[in-house]
Amino acid sequence: MASPLIIETAGLTKVFGPQRALDGVSLSVGPGAIGLLGPNGAGKSTFMKCLLQLQPITSGSAKLLGREVGREGREIRRRVGYAPEQDCHIPGMVGCEFVTLCAQLSGLPFQAARQRAHEMLDFVGMGQERYRKCETYSTGMKQRLKLAQAIVHDPQVVFLDEPTNGLDPKGQAQILELVASLWHTFGITVVLSSHLLHDVESICEQIIIIARGQVLVHDSLANLKARKRGAAEVVVADRHLELQAACQRRNWACELLSNGHLKVDHQAESLNPLLQLLHELKMAPLEIIPSPNALEESFIQALNLSHGNS
Amino acid sequence: MAIHNTSYQHWDGVHLGIWRRRGVVAGSSLTACLRNKWMVNLIVVCWSTALAAAGILFLVGQLLVADSIVVQWVSNFNPELQQFVKLLTTWLEQHPQISVRTTQNVAFYFYAMFLLRFSIFALGMAMPLLITRDLASNAIVVYSAKAINRGDYVLGKFCAAFGLLTMTWLGPVCAAWLVGNLLAPDWGFFWHSRAALGHLLLFGFIALTSLSVLALGISACSVKEKSTVAIWMMWWVLGGVVTPIATHTQPWLRHVSFNYNLQQIALSIFGPGTDLKVAQDTIPLLSTMMSNVHPETMEALNAPTIWGAVVAMILMLGGAAYVIWQRVKPE
Repeated sequence: MASPLIIETAGLTKVFGPQRALDGVSLSVGPGAIGLLGPNGAGKSTFMKCLLQLQPITSGSAKLLGREVGREGREIRRRVGYAPEQDCHIPGMVGCEFVTLCAQLSGLPFQAARQRAHEMLDFVGMGQERYRKCETYSTGMKQRLKLAQAIVHDPQVVFLDEPTNGLDPKGQAQILELVASLWHTFGITVVLSSHLLHDVESICEQIIIIARGQVLVHDSLANLKARKRGAAEVVVADRHLELQAACQRRNWACELLSNGHLKVDHQAESLNPLLQLLHELKMAPLEIIPSPNALEESFIQALNLSHGNS
Repeated sequence: MAIHNTSYQHWDGVHLGIWRRRGVVAGSSLTACLRNKWMVNLIVVCWSTALAAAGILFLVGQLLVADSIVVQWVSNFNPELQQFVKLLTTWLEQHPQISVRTTQNVAFYFYAMFLLRFSIFALGMAMPLLITRDLASNAIVVYSAKAINRGDYVLGKFCAAFGLLTMTWLGPVCAAWLVGNLLAPDWGFFWHSRAALGHLLLFGFIALTSLSVLALGISACSVKEKSTVAIWMMWWVLGGVVTPIATHTQPWLRHVSFNYNLQQIALSIFGPGTDLKVAQDTIPLLSTMMSNVHPETMEALNAPTIWGAVVAMILMLGGAAYVIWQRVKPE
């Protein structure tokens, strides 16, 4: 039986004045660890906010967990968790009170809310700091607190907007490990928004790349990584012309780049044909740089689009 | 050993309904208000005045008990005051259905208006905790991402403001009525003073609802806590300053004061002018005693500008609702 869809959108558009933050986004996404990748200002946060009804949709339609966004807002949000990018704590409240309140707002009775708040704060690795006022927390603690409040009511889906922002590498790794466990161990669908390829690549199975409000790519990580253009850059000390001629005899496009590297379009998924040719020519390359996979290429394309926009 | 399970556990309990979730919004705001020790002190002062009011009602009731300490104490008064108390006692004995209703209605009108000042001050202190702080800290995003919507949030905050005013105003006045009549020498006092209670509840509902909505509107005006407190207090104080000046220049200007408008609504509901006239007719000495009261005051008591006040309040509430609708958004 096919898995039910978590996110379904059709022509989802969000306009802020003259700017189209989302431009006809149509997606069907199943459960899993989903990475929403794109440069800053690409429309990732807006996409999440539209799904959560934090921003009204200009046109198009969206369904979350099979329910129409805009009609069943409360019911959807009861089943969904959200950790926004910016700080969102209530000043004057201590950490465990804040998480308890968030659980109660999602419909948990007080006793259960308090119990779960402590469990989630333990889960995200917060110790005695939970009894301190939220405004005194470090960036790392605030990120943990945001994660705890997002999952305290045991949602089916959790949206995390740049959860590793402002963290040191160790903190980033810890948060990513926790986030990864939500899907891999506990079956909670995670939608992780990030402008960092590494974050998304390390924990997500499905990738959605957004740029200028449009979806550039939506595929599984495995497919994207497997999809490579049959090209490589070869660095040789000398005999450039000989290598170029050999490539042309095999009908491979070959171009001498300005940095002295030879770009060879060998048209194969693996480097084996190129290595075979170099072996036949008895050439020892200094370096072979394989072409980036589709994920990296798409991400670079998104970045370029974004720069072009600005 | 950890007290709690440090791994993730799924939760399969029953979710609470929407009214309980709105209650959570109200409860958390109210709890935050009560963490301020000045707020607690203010509430204690309000309830102390309720005790004082109940005490006065008790003393009035004791006039009907022939050998009571109060009657003996009154005998020490000057002759004119003794005469007044005797007439009052006679009136209470002969026409309790009129006298109790009249005296309590007038007493509770003045007490309600007196206590309203404390409530406005309490709202000033609570102003940042209503909406301002949630807007400033982006907590509004967290509220909006939970299983409540904007209307639920505003309703919860409204209940918090209403609850606070109940602690500083409606609670004390109703308690004063209850305790004052419990201490009365006759259970009939409860029945005869039902009009005063009815007026209290009606005016209380109108005043508390209006003040709560206005306070939410001001609280949503800015993300700076000091600004919202300043706007609220300035509006109240300026209203008090403008009203007497406007009476002699542009009378309609008095309606910019929400306090003045509420006073006019209270005058219409309680009708203390009518009750004072009944009392003056029954106790001629009261007429002499009240001859020093300024005629304009008596005229104001008898002829409240109710329609102007109602229109002004509706406009103010509309404005507050517009501000709330525009400002209470996640972004």
